[in-house]
Amino acid sequence: MPGASGSRFWIFVFLFPFLVLYGGFTVWPLLATAYYSLFNWDGIQPLTDFVGLGNYQKIWADPIFWLALKNTLVFAVAETAIKLPLTLVVAVLLTRRWLLFKSFFRTVFFLPVILPVALAGLVFTYLLNPSNGALNAFLVDHNLVHTPIDLLGHGNTALIAIILVATWQIFGQYMVYWMAALQNVPEELYEAADLDGAGELQKLWHITLPLIRPVAIIITLLAIVNALHVFGVVVTLTSGGPGQASYTVSYFIYNEAFSEAPFRYGYGSAAALLFAVLAFVFVSGQAVLARGALRRRQEYGV
Amino acid sequence: MAVAAGEAGEQVTLERPRQTHRLKRLDRSVYLNLVAVPVLLLISFFWAYPFLWTISTAFKTQLGAFTAGASLVPHPLELGNFARAWVTAGFSNYTANSFIYAVSSTLVELIKSALCGYVLARYRFPGRDLLYKIIVLTLFVPIVSIVIPQFVLIEHLGLLNSRLGVILAQSGGAGALYVLLFTGFFENLPQELFDAARVDGAGFLQTFWLMLPLARPIIAVVVIFQFVYSWNDFTIPLIFTLGQPNLQNLAVGMLYFQGTHTFDWTGFAAGILMSFTPVLLVFLAFQGYFVRGLAGAVKG
Repeated sequence: MPGASGSRFWIFVFLFPFLVLYGGFTVWPLLATAYYSLFNWDGIQPLTDFVGLGNYQKIWADPIFWLALKNTLVFAVAETAIKLPLTLVVAVLLTRRWLLFKSFFRTVFFLPVILPVALAGLVFTYLLNPSNGALNAFLVDHNLVHTPIDLLGHGNTALIAIILVATWQIFGQYMVYWMAALQNVPEELYEAADLDGAGELQKLWHITLPLIRPVAIIITLLAIVNALHVFGVVVTLTSGGPGQASYTVSYFIYNEAFSEAPFRYGYGSAAALLFAVLAFVFVSGQAVLARGALRRRQEYGV
Repeated sequence: MAVAAGEAGEQVTLERPRQTHRLKRLDRSVYLNLVAVPVLLLISFFWAYPFLWTISTAFKTQLGAFTAGASLVPHPLELGNFARAWVTAGFSNYTANSFIYAVSSTLVELIKSALCGYVLARYRFPGRDLLYKIIVLTLFVPIVSIVIPQFVLIEHLGLLNSRLGVILAQSGGAGALYVLLFTGFFENLPQELFDAARVDGAGFLQTFWLMLPLARPIIAVVVIFQFVYSWNDFTIPLIFTLGQPNLQNLAVGMLYFQGTHTFDWTGFAAGILMSFTPVLLVFLAFQGYFVRGLAGAVKG
């Protein structure tokens, strides 16, 4: 690597746009969130009402925050557990050489990705509504149920609906991630396995999975982090309801800080920082696993 | 609808001399297709049902949509939904905003992360290792955890309720992953390339211009990631354009639209159809690049 002697000016120019935006919109906000969380602040008055750890004490005793956190974790784990295996199976299937109409099926699975998730939520509020939505019309017409089900009207089923709609919307994106990972698996290995008479499941288990494991861990990390952010689909599908049954952390913070006056920036910031720390711990646990897998990959020279 | 090539796992294989083998293979593939294709078609129907519903509702009358149940046949047919959605409901405005935000924030992300990633990968300067470590540490910061100070900052800059404010917020918080992708790529370029450029008398800028086209797979990934993120983004446009319908993107605008009128479902469906179609065409054209670009990115 060359030294900085003749290029110092250009190095600075190249770094400048990133440093300004990154400093202003990521690093400083992280520090400021920590600072705001020590105050009782509505964002309008001067920042003078220092309360120390008072906001954190309030959060500790706030059942809605813990409900929101529980919902977020349930959502993240369930959505990831559903979408990752299914998208992998579909990606493997849609990259088989023998399959007909591949492009058509890929397009169908990819379609919802380009529908903004909030619009997807709105479409589903209609399809799932108990009075004249398509789901209940179908179920009642075929005598599968007698009274329409109100999926979005009950706490537990509302969260399930959010998980399923979010999975449907993001499915194509993870399918494409897996398809990219599968491109790096040499086709000759499958040919050899075919000659040995291996079935599709055996090939998946003994060839595909071991080879894509390092990438699989990165995809899993991305999946969990993105799932922890869940917001738009909650707003449009249930508005956190019924009551507060389907609150997530994003929705909780949005509500505290921006939804209606008096805005509670200090309290929202405390929740935001706590969430960032919890997310970091959750994700770095995964990252430790990732490092182990990468080391194994080098040991075996794959 | 045809999807551009990007056929994973379809490299050319060696010609197999044994005729019996080839026949057996052919038999097997016919059999597998007979099982897989009908199952996939059935799943596809349910998977695409919300889209089919949207298409058919766009051609229904208000009453027809209300009483249709699960039926997809628009009867009687109504064509006025499109004009109403585009003009009265403001879909033209929301779609334009969605495009402006997506294109601008993608450009900003691309430029800043390519420049920074290149320098991080190829040059030593004071604070380089520290910067790299901070970027890795902030890779997984949830956006809601930093959005309150972002809001305060945008407000202080006088950019609240402006397009620039949304673009800055969208492209300021998301760049860590992209920088790492570019750094990884440029680090792995062979040193001989750079030596050759120096021998030819290329300076700092010229060398960068020579190397940048090599990073095409990473550029494709960043463009598609950021475009999809911005196009689908709900959080930032919602918070940074509170109560300013003329600045909202599709996702946020529709929520407000739902709140203020008796919801016009047929107009809504027509609006989705019109704003969705151009994006769909763009993505069909680039899907192949997407898969190949990602494959290149994860290999590096």
